[in-house]
Amino acid sequence: MSLPDFFIAHKREVLTLTGEHLWLVGVSMLLAVGIGVPLGILLSRRPALKSLILGANNIMQTIPSLALFGLLLPVPWIGARADRLAILALTLYALLPVVRNTYTGIAGVDAPVREAAVAMGLTRRQLLWQVELPLASNVIVAGIRTATVITVGVATIAAAIGAGGLGEFIFRGLAMVDNNVILAGAIPAALMALCSDFALGAIQRSLVRRPMRTRH
Amino acid sequence: MDRRSFLAALALMLSGCAPKRSTLTVGSKNFTEQLVLGELLAQYLARFCALPIDRRFYLAGTYICHQALLAGRIDMYVEYTGTALVAILKEKPVSDHAAVFNTVKELYSRRFGLEVLPSLGFDNTFAMVMRGNDARRLRLKTLSDAAAISPQLRLGVGYEFLERPDGYKGLAAKYGFKFAEAPRVMDLGLLYRALQNNQVDIVAGSNTDGLIAALDLVVLEDDRHYFPPYDAVPMVRRETLDRHPEVAAALQKLSGRITAEDMRRMNYAVDGQKKDAALVVKDFLARKSSLS
Amino acid sequence: MNASPAAAIEFVNVTYRVNGNRALISDLNLSIRRAETLMLLGRSGSGKTTTLKLINRLLEQSEGRVLVDGHSTAEWDVIRLRRHIGYAIQEAGLFPHYTVKDNVALVPRLERWDVARIDARVREVLQLVGLPFGEYADRYPDQLSGGQRQRVGLARALAADPEILLMDEPFGALDPITRAELQHEFMQLKKRLSKTIVFVTHDVAEALMLGDRIALIDSGKLKGVFAPAEFLRSPDESVQPYVNAFRATQQILNSGA
Repeated sequence: MSLPDFFIAHKREVLTLTGEHLWLVGVSMLLAVGIGVPLGILLSRRPALKSLILGANNIMQTIPSLALFGLLLPVPWIGARADRLAILALTLYALLPVVRNTYTGIAGVDAPVREAAVAMGLTRRQLLWQVELPLASNVIVAGIRTATVITVGVATIAAAIGAGGLGEFIFRGLAMVDNNVILAGAIPAALMALCSDFALGAIQRSLVRRPMRTRH
Repeated sequence: MDRRSFLAALALMLSGCAPKRSTLTVGSKNFTEQLVLGELLAQYLARFCALPIDRRFYLAGTYICHQALLAGRIDMYVEYTGTALVAILKEKPVSDHAAVFNTVKELYSRRFGLEVLPSLGFDNTFAMVMRGNDARRLRLKTLSDAAAISPQLRLGVGYEFLERPDGYKGLAAKYGFKFAEAPRVMDLGLLYRALQNNQVDIVAGSNTDGLIAALDLVVLEDDRHYFPPYDAVPMVRRETLDRHPEVAAALQKLSGRITAEDMRRMNYAVDGQKKDAALVVKDFLARKSSLS
Repeated sequence: MNASPAAAIEFVNVTYRVNGNRALISDLNLSIRRAETLMLLGRSGSGKTTTLKLINRLLEQSEGRVLVDGHSTAEWDVIRLRRHIGYAIQEAGLFPHYTVKDNVALVPRLERWDVARIDARVREVLQLVGLPFGEYADRYPDQLSGGQRQRVGLARALAADPEILLMDEPFGALDPITRAELQHEFMQLKKRLSKTIVFVTHDVAEALMLGDRIALIDSGKLKGVFAPAEFLRSPDESVQPYVNAFRATQQILNSGA
């Protein structure tokens, strides 16, 4: 059977697995951003924590994904359900780029700008929302973009521990020695990664400080 | 595309990915017997309950099937009682078939909210297998019979059987096997060939191996009940049975109808004769009078 | 503010230490009069910028009190304090993601003025610093020259009409022609504004030109406060090097002419 025919014949399954994959990636990224951005902001306020938090994140990233899944399996409540485990692991992987970029973006705000803002009487919160985050947004989105692409990839491995997603096709195809099946998983996953990279890249570009684009 | 229509499209796509409520999804692990059993459940339920069935086969292992069942990605699959007891429930292996079944049924219900239905009728446990000729000539029917003349026999085993506590060591102890030489260890796939070629006289295989039927081999009875039971039982989500009570009735009708011999034949048809599993099962269901 | 004391800003026995022990400012006692322009003159590292930053609490003193409008800065709500003090620095520190208009309107917006009032004030203050609204309002900082950025910085500092203006070497990074322009305009401006201005500089000529009084700071200590003419005549040995340097420049210029 040709590959396009295969896709048509199995379109329900492809859609189901794609949906599962999207869900794994979506929930993990929401958690990673929801935890990672505030963590990065905290880091910019307390640089003393930098080695601790970035160090911990680094260790997390160094552990191979499959090994991390295996390590989390015996943990009560987490290990009991594969999707919980997968989402936890995926979130941990996505955290480093998000935290690091948030920190770098905020720390990268020009010192005179920050000093002037404080001197003019911006409260901490106003400083964060009106100066730091807008100026760091480009870098932060770049971090989210990296994290998303990583997550789409690592999520394929989640199928190995029973969390579903497009990886299931890939592992099945390997067991059946059937290329169509492998590609039925690999192609949508690759497309998902490319599309999210493209979409977030477009968002990132639109956040570059406007003046750069309107030189006269 | 503006943000609102993008979100609407996304929501639509994601909602479409949830399996439709009236479709049943049957799962299976990734070896031949499981594929056959998965097809069996799928075709049987499709015919007798007139329900649309989705197949999600080739799940790579017990843990993955269990997770898929818990998460609702599949509605049912066929598990083995011994595997459920030891690998999932983490309990100690026991030899009594009924005890194992009851423990599994109760704990699955209590811990996971999953229903365990009665055995399909066969036990995919370890099997000590001999050439048909030898068994008939030496009048060997049980493992105790074989133990009595064990110094004359050469044993062939796979690596796992040699290492497992419920494998060779326990067997030798239970029955008092005293082989003249150490067991020959080889790849599982080569065991039956070695037996056929007279390189060994008795091998440790699985009860439902396809080649047993094809090569005129005999499984010796485990009269002292050494091997733990691995009865094939359908495991179903409670929600599925609540939604479709007719499924429980249909699966009850299947219980006890598949013999080890049936399983061996179907396994051989797929593995040895390279037939398509779906066709093999279709044939089987047609021919088995009590089921058509 | 309540009853205005003659001193708009006052330093009382102020010491500022870093790293536990190193005193950047020692025992500072200084009184700054309402509506005067006081120059804080000193070499690099003398503590003049530190002194400035104690006024709007960007830094906090280790000992002593800094009084603004009669109240210790420690008692003030720091946000209110800062919103009532204009601040202009050498790098300008304009928000790169805000237009000129938005930059200038910052404090009025924070203070929740109504839109019409903000708009009127922005126009007024840009006019004051010599940047026509129509041409500059919608530009972004990186579309401006250094001199223009400083003007916007000054406009921003003046936008909420604060009584006190702090300036930290605002013209230091500009080329001599632009600097002279801005110094000249500033001189005209301050006559019209009657604000208390504290101006940090290391440039003697600038101090003499712009200041009503000059406070000389050396190694964290106040050496004296002088009117410009007094400064030139002063026999004080800390003043000498400055006057000599100033005279030397004058001589070189005169001899070359």
